[in-house]
Amino acid sequence: MGTVCNQDQKLYEELGALARFVDNARNAISAASPQIISSSMQLPTAASHLSDLSKMTEDGTLEVMRLTEMMQDSHGQIAKDLSAIVEVLRAMDCVTLAERLGKVASVLAQDDKYLMEIMTALSFQDLVAQRVKKLVAILDEVQGKLMELVVVFGLQESPEAASEAGSAGDLLKQLEESKTTAMKQKVADDILAQFGFK
Amino acid sequence: MPVDLSMKVLVVDDMVTMRRIVKNILKQLGFGNVDEAENGQEALQKLRADTFGFVVSDWNMPIMTGIEMLRAIRADEKLKTIPVLMVTAEAQQNNLIEAVQAGVSNYIVKPFTAETMQEKIGKIFK
Repeated sequence: MGTVCNQDQKLYEELGALARFVDNARNAISAASPQIISSSMQLPTAASHLSDLSKMTEDGTLEVMRLTEMMQDSHGQIAKDLSAIVEVLRAMDCVTLAERLGKVASVLAQDDKYLMEIMTALSFQDLVAQRVKKLVAILDEVQGKLMELVVVFGLQESPEAASEAGSAGDLLKQLEESKTTAMKQKVADDILAQFGFK
Repeated sequence: MPVDLSMKVLVVDDMVTMRRIVKNILKQLGFGNVDEAENGQEALQKLRADTFGFVVSDWNMPIMTGIEMLRAIRADEKLKTIPVLMVTAEAQQNNLIEAVQAGVSNYIVKPFTAETMQEKIGKIFK
């Protein structure tokens, strides 16, 4: 009988400790709720900026590619013309001049190699895009987990939550604003022109 | 045996930048007849509709990945002998083994050079 009472007492104490632990955990989570809610709200914006970053590198890469391809095309034409001129010069026995032009053709061929190296170096964009995609997927998952936490623990957004968003929130706000306020040179020139700048 | 530069080549990649890079390298290597596809499914449609000399494919793609496309090619009576060169950032050993088991003709790890691509193309037609 005494053993049963002791066991009950021990169970009661363990349940009490467990209840206190759960209560402390709930209090800690509730105390952190403004940050949790604010973070979960910021994550989609952060993910969107990461995707924008990927798009920007893609646009920049495509422009470098376009210019590189133009140079490759004009090099190809110059090489053909040079080759034709060298043939004519050799036929006219202008060997020295033909050799000098031949050297120019070699320099051009070397430049073509550099242009191809520029093209292949641009594959960095694909690696960046793949990593950004993975980071966005991670952010989505973290946001999902945070939202689960909000729902399961019934967390409420306090009025102070917005002001407690912290520096991350400020930086995100700045990034968001830069989307609409970033001025194109053309717009700046138009405004300057109205003030007499030429 | 010299590589027949007139053969049609299919470049498969979901990234427009990578397709353009690979096409540019192939052009510089002398391959003037290059077509492209955004994923394995589109590539299979093109391969079944036309005659290609070889395929250069990415690994990670939506809808149908490179390895899925490779398995479909090897399982297709008409396409099974087409050489497939895999170009991928998946440098893990497991991926390479999986690709070899699926019948890849050669494997290039990104980022790569034009020389590497030339060397690998040369090897698959040796």
